[in-house]
Amino acid sequence: MEDDTQLGTESEEEDSDLSDGELQEAFAKGLLKPGMNVLTSKSRTCVNNVDGMKQCLAELSKTLPWVERLDLTNLPAEDIIARAEGKHPAPGGSVNAEDDFQREMFFYRQAQATVLEALPRLKKLNISTKRPEDYFAEMAKSDQQMQKIRKKLISKQAILEKSEKAKKLREQRKFGKKVQVEVIQKRQKEKKAMMNAVKKYQKGMTDKLDFLDGDQKAPAAANQKNPKADMAKRGPNAKRKSKDDRFGFGGKKSGKKWNTKESHNDVSGFRSKVAHGKGGKKGNKGKQNKRPGKSVRKKMKSRS
Amino acid sequence: MSPPKRKRGSNGPAGKKAKQAKFVDNEDVEAVPTTAQEEITVPAPVSMGKWKNKERVLIFSSRGVNFRTRHLMNDLRTMMPHSKADTKMDRKDKLFVINEVCEIKNCNKCLYFEAKKKQDLYMWMSNSPHGPSVKFLVQNIHTLAELKMTGNCLKGSRPLLSFDPTFDKEPHFALLKELFIQTFATPHYHPKSQPFVDHVFTFSIADNRIWFRNYQIIEEDGALVEVGPRFVLNIIKIFQGSFGGPTLYENPHFQSPNMHRRELRQATTAKLREKQMLKELQKMKRTENKEVATKDVTADVFATPGVEKPVHIQEEEPGQDPKKRKPKPFKRRRMQMSR
Repeated sequence: MEDDTQLGTESEEEDSDLSDGELQEAFAKGLLKPGMNVLTSKSRTCVNNVDGMKQCLAELSKTLPWVERLDLTNLPAEDIIARAEGKHPAPGGSVNAEDDFQREMFFYRQAQATVLEALPRLKKLNISTKRPEDYFAEMAKSDQQMQKIRKKLISKQAILEKSEKAKKLREQRKFGKKVQVEVIQKRQKEKKAMMNAVKKYQKGMTDKLDFLDGDQKAPAAANQKNPKADMAKRGPNAKRKSKDDRFGFGGKKSGKKWNTKESHNDVSGFRSKVAHGKGGKKGNKGKQNKRPGKSVRKKMKSRS
Repeated sequence: MSPPKRKRGSNGPAGKKAKQAKFVDNEDVEAVPTTAQEEITVPAPVSMGKWKNKERVLIFSSRGVNFRTRHLMNDLRTMMPHSKADTKMDRKDKLFVINEVCEIKNCNKCLYFEAKKKQDLYMWMSNSPHGPSVKFLVQNIHTLAELKMTGNCLKGSRPLLSFDPTFDKEPHFALLKELFIQTFATPHYHPKSQPFVDHVFTFSIADNRIWFRNYQIIEEDGALVEVGPRFVLNIIKIFQGSFGGPTLYENPHFQSPNMHRRELRQATTAKLREKQMLKELQKMKRTENKEVATKDVTADVFATPGVEKPVHIQEEEPGQDPKKRKPKPFKRRRMQMSR
């Protein structure tokens, strides 16, 4: 209860004609309720004189045949596009005024419905909707204006076409690059195969010269049938073999280079003459550098 | 060879009568030409029927309208052959003077464009001597001169009038509909009109506004192209009299453009003011000398009363750990042993 009175007084602070006492009195009578003093946009009391309007309408309306008025009131025609898309339009013919396309479509369909309904009636009244081809009269828009419109339409279409073309070209270029790379690779491959075949022939590995004929594809294909099996049969090449001998192939790698007892005790490779750098001098003397120094060489060059 | 002669509106001997439509008694006579001889005849621009509905609409404006409004007005004049023009009204003149202008001009309907502040356009639509009259706010004007509306129609051809079903639901809309029909419908056999119906005026209601569109009928199957002009009418008030009298209806959704602009302005200023205040507050906070924390409030959080333990001093030398691991050969040794 306290809270309620508090609320009332708080929001009424602006017009302080009402004293707290008065407010409390009012609350006691039950005139004040919580939520009564919520700030709302001031509601205008709008005039809506229905009777007056009806009377006015009665006075205004004239009894004229439909030909004079040509008015029709109807719901918009069925939305073919929306139906095709499986959408169900809002019933009652209401539209979202913010959505430009939907709104314009609504107006268009309304006009369409009117036209569809009016055409038979007009036909009955013998009023044509199409002028004959040779009926010339002033139009609402001048020829100049229509020319302008046409020009704009054409330019718009041209722009659209141009952009589409550019898009296509871009795509083609992308694809074309791929194709070019492929072709080059293929050519290189062919060349390599050819050179291989020639080498083989030169070495005398084959007597056949059929690779010189046009169909290089067939031997290549035959070669490629089982290259792995071929390799296995031949075994590794000489270079590989020597390297394997030297550095080992397979097996445990760690601890291989460590000394063992045997290797430590093995002194067969020891030569006292060479050991401790003694042999170095002698060796050096033995195979003295025959090439003289640079300055000497220069001198020699200048002399000759 | 010269092409066959064409005659417009020739009805044999009744050719002269075409101009003096008043004397034609038979009103049902349509513009059906009798195919006399080999002459190709086309329907006459002025029909044989009697022009009975003498509706005339005065279309004019106040001073100070912008070019767009002027264009719109001219477009409406081309679309409505039963319209008349007048010089611009002085802004100082009282509105009921328009009634006299209408009388002078022999018009019983009036479309009056009133420009205010060089940006707002109001349109009065009135049934001249006796009322009612309506005041609209006109928004979103597009004129015939715009290039995006590609249709075209005959100048002075009669329009079909298409209305939203909402127009029948409420009394003020019903009244408006009747007013629209009487104003925008071109009378049958009007001398300046064409004997074809090739466009539709559409009046629709969306967002509590009346949207006006004009479409050209291209094909008989209902293909349309917009001709223009287009505009949106926002109802302000409906009066019983012509340019005055008691108010019959007032639009509760209407907000005057001045008010709208004011609200926008206020919103921006409020935003700015709030920003400024925040900035000032931050500045004040920064300049305010910070109080040095002399005493840590959380200092004695962990000062829990614990059990005091006696200080133990180890006097003996730490001996061998009984759990020491048994000696293990080095890795190299292990490798060699395993070899």
